[in-house]
Amino acid sequence: MGNIFKTKLNTATIVLIPACIGINYLGKLFASFLKLPLWLDSIGTCLGACLGGPIIGAICGALNNLIYGLTTGDNITLIYAITSLFIGLAVGVTARLGFMETFPKSFVCALAGGLAAVIVSTPLNVIFWGGTTGNVWGDALFASTQAAGMPVALGSFLDELVVDVPDKILTIIITFLILKGLPKKLTSLYDVNAQIERLD
Amino acid sequence: MSSLSLYVDKGSWLNRLHPYVKLLYILAAICIPLIGGKLWLFPIVILCSICLLISGRCFRKSLPLIAFSFTMILVIFLVQGLFYHARENVMFQIGALTFYKEGVLYATKISCNILNMLLSFAVFVLTTSIPEFVDELEKSGFPPKFAYIITSVFQIVPQMMKTKDTIVDAQRSRGMETEGKLLTRMKAFLPLISPVVMSALINTRERAIALEVRGFGRKNKKTILSERTKRPIDTFLEVLLIVLILLTLVWRIASCL
Repeated sequence: MGNIFKTKLNTATIVLIPACIGINYLGKLFASFLKLPLWLDSIGTCLGACLGGPIIGAICGALNNLIYGLTTGDNITLIYAITSLFIGLAVGVTARLGFMETFPKSFVCALAGGLAAVIVSTPLNVIFWGGTTGNVWGDALFASTQAAGMPVALGSFLDELVVDVPDKILTIIITFLILKGLPKKLTSLYDVNAQIERLD
Repeated sequence: MSSLSLYVDKGSWLNRLHPYVKLLYILAAICIPLIGGKLWLFPIVILCSICLLISGRCFRKSLPLIAFSFTMILVIFLVQGLFYHARENVMFQIGALTFYKEGVLYATKISCNILNMLLSFAVFVLTTSIPEFVDELEKSGFPPKFAYIITSVFQIVPQMMKTKDTIVDAQRSRGMETEGKLLTRMKAFLPLISPVVMSALINTRERAIALEVRGFGRKNKKTILSERTKRPIDTFLEVLLIVLILLTLVWRIASCL
């Protein structure tokens, strides 16, 4: 169990991180280009987590939000660096446990990522925005729970749940399909248990 | 080529200020109203940020950011004003909608906080160049590998945006639909994103080799191309901001006793 968090911090993984952050950005861009009602902005984080392990996934997620928060002035994303960090961690751990090998198993991965996002985001939403998330569907649900007199935390939790879990399931499906299409010479760069065989 | 960063070099005094002073300003702008705990502190700090932005000649560039935050603020006002959990006193009515006093007050607080954070960040973001900021971080002992990650994001993303346009055109010319029903648009997502992602990941291999060849993995201390020293005004402003934060803290504690 000790090697779940094992990380190779060599040049290959260092280069992987900016690429993953770029992919995150691209996912968000395409999602808004196609006017999809989901974010899809964590594909890169999940790819990084599956290739490089949970630590790389966490770094990808946190840096992603920090960089965009500090450069595009969109400081709302800045606070969610913690959420992204835990998404990367959760997906990385489940991937290392072997849940990314087959398509049906990858749903466990998606659920882990989605739940991590929900659990970490809910307190942040309550503290900073009074419970809303900025997604139309989720906020409509939040408003109806508040009208029915449910507590803020529960309303906010449901608000996140209906948005985040489908988002993460789709993200993981895309990640899975991309991972299966990657050439072996690339994935072997990130294999922590790889050993170099000497012939002499 | 479109750049990711909003920074523009206007040659103003804010551009010449040390990046750490501007970071400290963000900290002060966020902490002072929160520590002080009074609603009237928000407009003062917000006004202060606006004055700084105007004096740095970049207020117009911050307007889209403010416009963006207004949609969020509007949602907060609607949801909290109408459905705040401890609603008691009716403030006003528009048709069938009843706004409550407590909810509106709470929404005002959150909105002021959002606007305040946005503007104080704008002071930093619009006037600081990222390579310069990363250089400063490296000088104060930030690991160079992480510094590389940050700077390279700004090179990779514009490249990817270019590839994105190429791929959208290529897939459309093959007859892929990118508009229409939700299902059609969902189906279009994978063929659009996978070529870019694949090429980006495959490129990382070559980039890693290129960096290794140039001694990226060496543990030696790296030298920095552009030297920059702290000016007296930087130190003065740093001290001033720290004193202001401490004063607010003292004032809050004193008012509690």
